[in-house]
Amino acid sequence: MNIRRATVRAVLWRGVLFALLWWALTDGRPGSWGVGGVSVALATAASLALLPPVGTCVSRIGLVRFLVFFFVQSLRGGVQVAAFALRPRPGLRPGFHDIALRLPAGLGRILLANTLSLLPGTLSVELDGDRLCLHVLDETAPTEREVRVVEDRLAHMLGLELDTTA
Amino acid sequence: MTLTFALAIFLLLNLIVALVRVARGPTPADRLLAALLFGTTGSAILLLLAEAMGQPSLLDTALVFALLAAITGVAFARRAWREEAPDDEPR
Amino acid sequence: MSLAELLGDALLVAGAAFFFAGTVGLLRFPDVYTRLHALAKADNLGLGLIVLGLLLHAPGWATGIKLVLIWLLALAASATVGFLIARRARRHGIAPWRAGDGE
Repeated sequence: MNIRRATVRAVLWRGVLFALLWWALTDGRPGSWGVGGVSVALATAASLALLPPVGTCVSRIGLVRFLVFFFVQSLRGGVQVAAFALRPRPGLRPGFHDIALRLPAGLGRILLANTLSLLPGTLSVELDGDRLCLHVLDETAPTEREVRVVEDRLAHMLGLELDTTA
Repeated sequence: MTLTFALAIFLLLNLIVALVRVARGPTPADRLLAALLFGTTGSAILLLLAEAMGQPSLLDTALVFALLAAITGVAFARRAWREEAPDDEPR
Repeated sequence: MSLAELLGDALLVAGAAFFFAGTVGLLRFPDVYTRLHALAKADNLGLGLIVLGLLLHAPGWATGIKLVLIWLLALAASATVGFLIARRARRHGIAPWRAGDGE
C-alpha cells in the first residue's frame, strides 16, 4: 500500500474514531457538533503529526486476537498478584531479566513494554534500544517464552516483521 | 444503602490505608505510587458514586481523573523526584 | 432483578475484591518493584471488572463508551507511570529485594 492511500485511510479511520469519542463525551447532544467538528478535525491533525500513518495497516483479526489475549492475561496477572498478596507466606522470588527484542524500533516496542507491565509477573523497567529489562515476581518462571508470545501477537496485529536473528 | 455506595466506601477505606502506606515510603519511589492509586482507585470510586448517587456527571470527573493521573504521574516521575541525583536523565 | 444486573453486581464485588488484594500486596510486598506489580495488575483488573459490572447496569452506548475509555486511560496511565517509577528507582540505585533477604 502506498503512503498516500495509507494517509487517506488513517484520516478517515481516526476521524471516525474521534467523532465517536466526541459523541460519547457529549452524551450524543446534537447542539455540540459546531465545537465538536472543529475538535475532531484538530484531534485528527494532531494525531497525524504525533503518530504518522505507516505503510502497513493494522490487522483487524490480529487486533481482536490481541485484545482477547490481553484480557485473559490481565485476568491471570491480577489473580496471580492477588494470590501472592493473600497467601500466608507470599513466596516471592523477584529478579531482573534482560531480553533482546525481535520487534523493530517504534510503536511495537513501546506497546510491548507497556503491555508486559500489565501482564502476569512482569514489569518493564528499562527500554534501551532493543534491550528490554523486566522485573519479574518469580525468577524461575519461563519469562522469555511469555515475552516471545506477546511479541508474536503484537507483530501480527501491527503487521511488523520480527528480527529472528536476535 | 445500595451495593454501589457500599463498595465506594470500601474502596475509599482501601485508598486511605494504601495512601498511609505509600506516604511512609521508605524511598521516594514508594511515595510516587500515590499517583497510580489515584488513577485507578480514585476513578473506580467516582464511577461507583456516579451510579449510587444518580449523578452521571461524576463519570466526566472520573475521566478527567484518569487523564490527569497519567499526566501528573509522568510529570512527577520525570521532574519532581530529583532530590538525590539532579542530572541522571539526559534531555 | 434481572440476570444482567445480578451478574453486574457480582462483577462489582469481584472488582472491589481485587482492589483489596492490591492494597494487601502494597502493605505486604517487600520493595517498590514488587509493590508496583501489586498496583499495576490487581488494581487495573479491579477497575476493569467494575467497569464491566457498571456496563451491565449502564443506560446507553454513550455512557458505555465513556466507561471503557476511563478504563483504557487508567491502563495507559498505570503502564506508563509504573514503568517510569521502576526505571527511576533502578537508576537511583534502589536495590530490589531478593528471596532470602527477610522482610
